[in-house]
Amino acid sequence: MASRKKSLLKVIILGDSSVGKTSLMNQYVNKRFSNQYKATIGADFCTKEVVVNDRVVTMQIWDTAGQERFQSLGVAFYRGADCCVLVYDVTAPNSFKNLDSWRDEFLIQASPRDPEHFPFVVLGNKVDLDNRQVSTRRAQQWCQSKNDIPYYETSAKEGINVEMAFQTIAKNALEQETEAELINDFPDQIRLNSDNNRPGNTDNCQC
Amino acid sequence: MVQTTADGVDLKERLIASVKKEVKQLMEEAVTKKYVHEESSSVTSLCAAVEACLSQGLRRRALGLFKTSSTTALLHKIAKTCAEAEHISKMVQEIESNDPNKRSSSSSDSFNRPPMLKKGSSNSMSTATATSSSTVTSSASASASISVSISASNSSMSLANMKYLWIRLALYEKRLTKIIEYLVSNAQSYYDRDSLVADPDYGSILSSLLVGPCALEFTRAKTADHYWTDPHADELVQRHRISCRRSSSTCSRPAIINFKRSLNTSSDDASSCSFKSIASASVAKDYVESLHQNAKATLLYGKNNVHVLPKDVAELMPGYLSLHQHIQTLTIKWTPNQLMNGYNESEEEEIDKEAFWAYALNINVDEIVYVHCHQSRGEDSGGTVILVGQDGVQRPPIHFPEGGHMQQFLSCLETGLLPHGQLDPPLWSQRGIGKMFLWPKSMRRRILPSVMESVDETPIDYVFRIVSKSRHEEFAATHSILDFVRSTPRRAQLSSCSTTGSSDCSNKSLSIDQYPLESPLLQQHNQSTSIEMVCSTMRRQIISRAFYGWLAYCRHLSTVRTHLSGLVHGRITPEMKTDEEGLTKERWEQLNADGMLTNSTEFYRLIYFGGVQPELRKDVWPYLLGHYAFGTTQEERQKQDETCKHYYETTMSEWLAVDAIVQQREKEKTARAVAKLSSGSNSGNERTVRAADLEAGGELENEVFEDISDISDPGDLEFDDEQRQQQQQQQQSQEASSAVSATHLSVKPIPRAMKTSTDSGHVDEGLDELDEEEEEEDEEEFAKKPEEKQQSADEAAALESKAVSEKEPQPQQQQQPSCSTSTASSYETVGGAPQPSESRGVLSPEFLSADDLQAQLPHDEDTVKSTQQAAVIITNASVDIASWERTTKTDGDNQMPPLTEQLESTGSAGNMDALQQPKSACASPASSNGGVYSSELLEQFGLNLHRIEKDVQRCDRNYWYFANENLDKLRNVISTYVWEHLDIGYMQGMCDLVAPLLVIFDDESLSYSCFCKLMERMIENFPSGGAMDMHFANMRSLIQILDSEMYDLMDSNGDYTHFYFCYRWFLLDFKRELIYDDVFATWEVIWAAKHIASGHFVLFLALALLETYRDIILSNSMDFTDVIKFFNEMAERHNAQAVLQLARSLVLQLQMIIENK
Repeated sequence: MASRKKSLLKVIILGDSSVGKTSLMNQYVNKRFSNQYKATIGADFCTKEVVVNDRVVTMQIWDTAGQERFQSLGVAFYRGADCCVLVYDVTAPNSFKNLDSWRDEFLIQASPRDPEHFPFVVLGNKVDLDNRQVSTRRAQQWCQSKNDIPYYETSAKEGINVEMAFQTIAKNALEQETEAELINDFPDQIRLNSDNNRPGNTDNCQC
Repeated sequence: MVQTTADGVDLKERLIASVKKEVKQLMEEAVTKKYVHEESSSVTSLCAAVEACLSQGLRRRALGLFKTSSTTALLHKIAKTCAEAEHISKMVQEIESNDPNKRSSSSSDSFNRPPMLKKGSSNSMSTATATSSSTVTSSASASASISVSISASNSSMSLANMKYLWIRLALYEKRLTKIIEYLVSNAQSYYDRDSLVADPDYGSILSSLLVGPCALEFTRAKTADHYWTDPHADELVQRHRISCRRSSSTCSRPAIINFKRSLNTSSDDASSCSFKSIASASVAKDYVESLHQNAKATLLYGKNNVHVLPKDVAELMPGYLSLHQHIQTLTIKWTPNQLMNGYNESEEEEIDKEAFWAYALNINVDEIVYVHCHQSRGEDSGGTVILVGQDGVQRPPIHFPEGGHMQQFLSCLETGLLPHGQLDPPLWSQRGIGKMFLWPKSMRRRILPSVMESVDETPIDYVFRIVSKSRHEEFAATHSILDFVRSTPRRAQLSSCSTTGSSDCSNKSLSIDQYPLESPLLQQHNQSTSIEMVCSTMRRQIISRAFYGWLAYCRHLSTVRTHLSGLVHGRITPEMKTDEEGLTKERWEQLNADGMLTNSTEFYRLIYFGGVQPELRKDVWPYLLGHYAFGTTQEERQKQDETCKHYYETTMSEWLAVDAIVQQREKEKTARAVAKLSSGSNSGNERTVRAADLEAGGELENEVFEDISDISDPGDLEFDDEQRQQQQQQQQSQEASSAVSATHLSVKPIPRAMKTSTDSGHVDEGLDELDEEEEEEDEEEFAKKPEEKQQSADEAAALESKAVSEKEPQPQQQQQPSCSTSTASSYETVGGAPQPSESRGVLSPEFLSADDLQAQLPHDEDTVKSTQQAAVIITNASVDIASWERTTKTDGDNQMPPLTEQLESTGSAGNMDALQQPKSACASPASSNGGVYSSELLEQFGLNLHRIEKDVQRCDRNYWYFANENLDKLRNVISTYVWEHLDIGYMQGMCDLVAPLLVIFDDESLSYSCFCKLMERMIENFPSGGAMDMHFANMRSLIQILDSEMYDLMDSNGDYTHFYFCYRWFLLDFKRELIYDDVFATWEVIWAAKHIASGHFVLFLALALLETYRDIILSNSMDFTDVIKFFNEMAERHNAQAVLQLARSLVLQLQMIIENK
């Protein structure tokens, strides 16, 4: 039935271990926070139906393991992602610094059609804690430098900004998907600028 | 619009059908979810269907309705005369007027209607009543204005609602039926004569169809589960349980070793579920919905408050009895009232309901042979029906309330059985005798009373037999032919032959159908020669088919042997007798007589089949893990333990020293970062080089990141890292003395580096990075990712000889264990460490760390010193060596320029010089202690410690053992392991592997050494090893061999072959899938299995887990993602013993196939 057409938005959450990826996902999907989460092994996902731009879409949110070396198995999960959420912990500067590598890793592994404009969203989590070490300004600057990635400061524990962030995620993911559809409609489109943006992102197989 | 009458009827039919469909959808949603959300898509589609009906044949011209939103106009028109319409009309107007940017209603959307409706010619005119773009989330109450404001803030919610506005509102307000009724009764003034609304039949059908939806409550509230689309694993399992419970309890099939499909050789509940066919499992899927009339099944009978007395329940339970006709089968379902309200949300209830699910009945009438009816004589006091299955097992009695309900039920049952089956004796024949169902006593218990309940004198009983014609005929036909062919010479025996030959088939067909077997037989006798011709042809065909089948089977077997023979041991270990139960205390004492355990085979066998008694685990596990050797004496083991303990403590003291340094640095770093952050936010220009601020601007900081983002270009990376190093060094020197920093700025040879350095001078932003980067600078020189340091160090070694200094200390550390005394070992460390650095002549990193610590922390120096000295026995030698080391260092600096390209040249050398000054000034023991360990080592281990800490904190916090200081033990064990295996490093998952060991042993050193043993196998599963891919490949082959149906499903979902859902299973030996007690039980079986049945027992466990839920997976045709989700949700809820049992039988099955037994 056309009026009931649903689309699936695949969202990947990445970030260092214990920055709160699982918590964010569960806060958004189940409106619950638990301090009992264990380190994620492998991958898990939740689905949630949302209405974005007047469409009912199912968000499939993938939660991944935080340790980098487990990313090799991420390939299967990254493929076909519509949006990537980068999470860092505002009390852990290293987790912020690693955003860069997470972003790159994702772009390499998922090899999206248009890496320059692939929708990312950055979340600075754990703002409820008082030993903050990464300033908002710094995070914003980084996001600006990366093609204006939307940035939110969240707290999965208190539920601060979580809903809003994911609404943006869904919206951006949907836009990405619509664009993809458009591209599919014109399969002969040649993208001239695609190779000089990211040299070797397609064929440097590091696995 | 010219339409032939036939077309018109056809169209009306379609329109009504679509309304019906939508109504049904909506009602189902209401039943399953207990409420309907206003924005539910089924509401929208219903409105669309109604809209289509209403616009068909509308006399637009006559009524002056030219706008596309004609039905809205119609509403306004009838508002004058119809009170309901007036109410809705007002609401619509109110909402529309509240909308600031009202859109022309002509822009509504034909694409939104169901495509089917587009065919209708008049529909081309009908459009949605879309009126506004951002309005109308209305809760349809009077507070329309409030809802408008809500929707304005949440504009994304609007479109779904804005279509068919008035129909929607009328529906929410429960006035839609009234309005349609009005339209129907006044159709002549608004509709063409042949329109749907004006049609005498369809018009009233339309209005009556909507009565149901108008009675529903609609909600806007978003409940927790509102947006869930995929059923939760619990629900899937419950659905399945309810559907298979009956069948599983009845099918006490023998263990069939069938390589193709039926895997199950055990008869316990969980596993026997896997026998079920897809057809009946798919019934399960729709269980809740299927209690109602739906597309798949016709509801023949439904009655609430029918009492059933389930097993193990003291009193009768009321519930809903229903009879469903499917295409092939007839099902009787009884659901306790407690479950009839749909699925519960709250957790507490869940447990209670769990029990109720077990009581629910789901009986396939095919399996029922007899229907026993009990009735009190002479009075109408309801009745009791007992269904008896093929196996003679009674189903719980069903007590009908008074009022002929039992009779009704039976007649419905009889109707349902037709045409393929019937009740014997037929129900109708009884109707003549006495009043309905009061059968004469002579008829009582005419047929097979053996299984009847004890009969007291008053009730009147009757027994019906259910005869299934089709089944029997098929069966008789196939069997008679087969047997005929096989036993042509001895036809006389045929009858008995077929009976025995098919004894494992359904008893039912046998018991019923003796006589039909005779008829083909007789025919065979009568016709002689031609039949024999036919038979010989048939025989040939059958033989050739059998031959090819056999050939295929042989080929298949050879595949099995080549691919899978390595997975199981060749010899089959005899199973235990039923009275044995694993390794019990007595058994253990027997085996372990006079403190020596020698009979390893028996030991393993007992554990493999029965596990270990919990209190023995502490003693038994070390043997299982290979920590103790068989045949060792008590004293030997004691000695071994002591050695282990000593070794463990020594190792621990080593890394604790490093830990202290790392923690100190961490603390400092944090303190400073926080300080910087707060001061930075206040003014932003303390100590800032303002010129740099102006020049560099805000974006400079980001440049650091931008540059390294390009991993693919190693040259670039190198460049960047060096830049960074410079930057950091400068920052340091700036801190030390501002004069030095000035020199630096002038020294910088490359403009780009210059720029960065200026930026680093920008304290406001730069300094909070400073500390982190200081720590990481060394490793960043080699690679971006610290974890990959080892590998990248190798690569980098070609470029920078410094890499060697990182690698050298490690073997040193590993040598230590060989030394028995701690003093000796610490000497060796101290003495040994500088050796490699000397030979290489480069040791720059050492400086930074030790010196750094010193410079930043003059006040803390003493504390550091004391902790370190407490932890490691450091001799004076270290001081000397460290300072001597410093001199070598200078030489190293001189070597650097040629090595590190032109970029750094003078600048870095200058840096080093600057740094050396404070260092040589205070050659304290603390600094030299730090210097013993290379900075890379510190860095690497620090990073590992950090990770360990994070995961330890998160490890099983809710398990009693880890509620207190035992977490520290966990941390110690893992840290010790990582310290000893720094090349491996900490990997997520190690915590989960250590935890159960620690719980059992409650002893760090024993846990440590058993963990080392365990890791010998497990390490290969981690990303660094290759075992995981091998597991996946083996899983694939195993499934292909043992469950072809599952394999087909996986194959059809291409992605599915990744088997990632098993990842966590293999990585952690199912630790996360099971609760602690089950983990213990499973682990010991895995360990024992290695010596008894299979070194890859985990594969069979995984397969068993998969097979346990195979019907759920198959019936929902789950793909790769669904399975991941399902098993993640099922974690810690499996029946471990059943899974283990199934796994053992799978091993046996594969052994049999390989042996070709």
